[in-house]
Amino acid sequence: MSRPNAPLAGVRIADFTIHAAGPFCTHLLSQLGAECIKIESRTRPDAFRKPHAVYGRMQAATFDQVSANKLSVRLNLKQPEAVALAKRLVSVSDMAAESFRPGVMKRLGLGFDELREVKPDVVLLSLSSCGQSGPDSHFAGYAPLFGAWGGLGWMSGYTDGPPVEMRHVMDHSAGMHAAVATLAALHQRQRTGKAQHVDLAAREVASAMIGDALVLASVGATPVRPGNGDLGMAPHGVYATSQPDRWLTLAVRNDAQWQALSRVLGQGSSDPRFATIQARLAHREELDQLLTRWLATCNADETAARLQQAGVCAHVSWNMQDIAADPHLREREALTEVSAPDIPQRLAVGAPGRFGRTDDVGIRRLTPALGQDEDYVFGELLGLDSAQRADLEAREVIL
Amino acid sequence: MQSNDLPQSAALPLSGCRVLERSRTVAAAYAGRLLAAMGARVVMLEPPGGSPLRKAAPLLEDTAESALFAYLCVGKRSLVCDSASPAGRAVLERELDRADIFIDDTPVRDRAAQGVDPETVGARFPQLVHVSVLPFGATGPKAGWDGEEVNLLHAGGEGFLLPNGLSHELFPDRAPLKIYGHFAGYQGGCTAALCALSAWWSAAAGGGQYVDVSVQDAVLSVGAFALQRLGDGSLEHRTTRRFRYGGVFEAKDGFIELLTLEDRQWSSLVELLEQPPWAQDEALRDPLERSRRGDEINGHVREWMARHGVEDIVRRAQELGVPAAKYRTPAEVMHGEHERERGLFAPATLESGIEADVLVAPFQFRCTPLPGGARVPLLNEMEQEATR
Repeated sequence: MSRPNAPLAGVRIADFTIHAAGPFCTHLLSQLGAECIKIESRTRPDAFRKPHAVYGRMQAATFDQVSANKLSVRLNLKQPEAVALAKRLVSVSDMAAESFRPGVMKRLGLGFDELREVKPDVVLLSLSSCGQSGPDSHFAGYAPLFGAWGGLGWMSGYTDGPPVEMRHVMDHSAGMHAAVATLAALHQRQRTGKAQHVDLAAREVASAMIGDALVLASVGATPVRPGNGDLGMAPHGVYATSQPDRWLTLAVRNDAQWQALSRVLGQGSSDPRFATIQARLAHREELDQLLTRWLATCNADETAARLQQAGVCAHVSWNMQDIAADPHLREREALTEVSAPDIPQRLAVGAPGRFGRTDDVGIRRLTPALGQDEDYVFGELLGLDSAQRADLEAREVIL
Repeated sequence: MQSNDLPQSAALPLSGCRVLERSRTVAAAYAGRLLAAMGARVVMLEPPGGSPLRKAAPLLEDTAESALFAYLCVGKRSLVCDSASPAGRAVLERELDRADIFIDDTPVRDRAAQGVDPETVGARFPQLVHVSVLPFGATGPKAGWDGEEVNLLHAGGEGFLLPNGLSHELFPDRAPLKIYGHFAGYQGGCTAALCALSAWWSAAAGGGQYVDVSVQDAVLSVGAFALQRLGDGSLEHRTTRRFRYGGVFEAKDGFIELLTLEDRQWSSLVELLEQPPWAQDEALRDPLERSRRGDEINGHVREWMARHGVEDIVRRAQELGVPAAKYRTPAEVMHGEHERERGLFAPATLESGIEADVLVAPFQFRCTPLPGGARVPLLNEMEQEATR
């Protein structure tokens, strides 16, 4: 799977991450050309390989979207010899990534200091709920908890309702931020030759999503939960249309766009309560009621297209079927069709950007079977012959 | 007054990296912000009159300055450049020549007139990494479409799926709900920063290149699990995308998130709830049975939560290994002991001279900590410094 023209060609990752956030980080880096070696064992596979009943279905439904492109090896890290092999793997890699609770890698003998002994310029990413330090660092959590701790959950929600739980997007946002920080650390290593330990707390990514509200809180103000409203735009929100559950999102920035909206919808715009942005913000509730009436007889898709032509920000609230059928996303290869001999053709998300010099990015192969790449990793990279590997398997070092 | 050229910046991850940013949108500004936080020298080219983000809500009540702009632009430099004028074009050329990375969100239709179309920039500055980040990207049938946060969160699929759980139970007939603030824009900006650093990684060997990033794509990327489920035959909907038990609970003095996905966590939850008789049912040892009876379980948990205080619940839950967290307000995050000990915030000087604590970055570099803080740049401060 050599991709010499990919931006991160030549970068190798020893990947100990599990679940969603950490694996999404290395998944992004692998889409950009890094060689990512995922380390698990038969007794402790990534939990996302296993079926779980989160949504009432006993399926491992999400592993593929964070594991494509990766190579897979087995190491039973309860065994000292397996830990030694993991260290050898790190020593021939550019970076390592892990997403255990703080302290687990240290207990395994794979902490930052131990890895730096075998690779003095190692870059280690540690992604966790609450970070490697601080009084809450031992707290366990999932995406909804990150949002709760970080403040994003509190700030999201209907103004008169409870806070809202964040879902997988929170995990993946943490993984994406981790990828940025890890790449910066690789640049730093290239420049200085020094090691770096990147510490990403997923709850702090949730806090970064409310950075403006935190500035307000810092000066003593109490930020308001705006729901679908916006403090600077009106009308602004999500409106019902003539089709059931087919919502139109709308954001009107200025008076010219308000007039354009009124024109497209065949309505007058002379009401002084709505003539200026200040007036519309002051009469937000009446304006929303008016828009609700106007849009109730409209076709969502046609109206969105006509508003866009008139320079008004509008889009239908899309479900995944809409997205799967979108020619724009297909043409951009934001959606890509993947398949394998035992996997029927299906859609997956493409590379994070379109690169001018290369299309050698994105998914090149699907989720690896557990241990399927040991000939390359243990054989070619670590120089173990077949007899050594058989012995290690017999003694459950490779398991 | 604090400096945006900190002496310790030579030791930071992106020390020496020079970034030029033209931003009207949160996505482009956030890309620059992430790079600035890690030590890059980021110059914002602003139009005469300043970036529209300088007036973007929310505003500080006393000074009417933008809290959003303060957050997005602390640590950057500001230079006014009217790229439609010959003098401005010369400034643009000079700054592009000095830059390693160019982050731009000029709409496709305006790029040529402003001298920032990728063909011109690539030919003139072959080592430059040029990242365009636009609502729907720069190519494809909708490249000319415009979008604000509410549009993009829904165009990428996540908006349709919110809210879940308690909010949806309370308000089943209301419109789908956006995430607070600029979540979509931040994903677009983070993707732009990722692509910029990736392209810069290969620039020494292969030269610079142009990268086209879309906020819509970025939202879809972080929401990929819903696409996976579509391939499995399930079209997700906010009414059904919910944890069968667990979620948001109202305690005596606030809200809690509680989520148990593993069997051992269920056992710990039963212990947290003080081994109630209903939870002794042998059938509940089966996770699928628990899912089937999720509403019944949540009813019991709600009743118990309403009788206990948030802090006690969370402390005891975490001791027992039950994932639980308080829904914290911005003030609680700002003053949180954990955040303070980790140095999540640093003092910054706003345009008005007011001091505020601003989030440094959502990641740490333990060998070379980020200093954070610094100033929110005054409009055109670089030009004023040069002529002073």
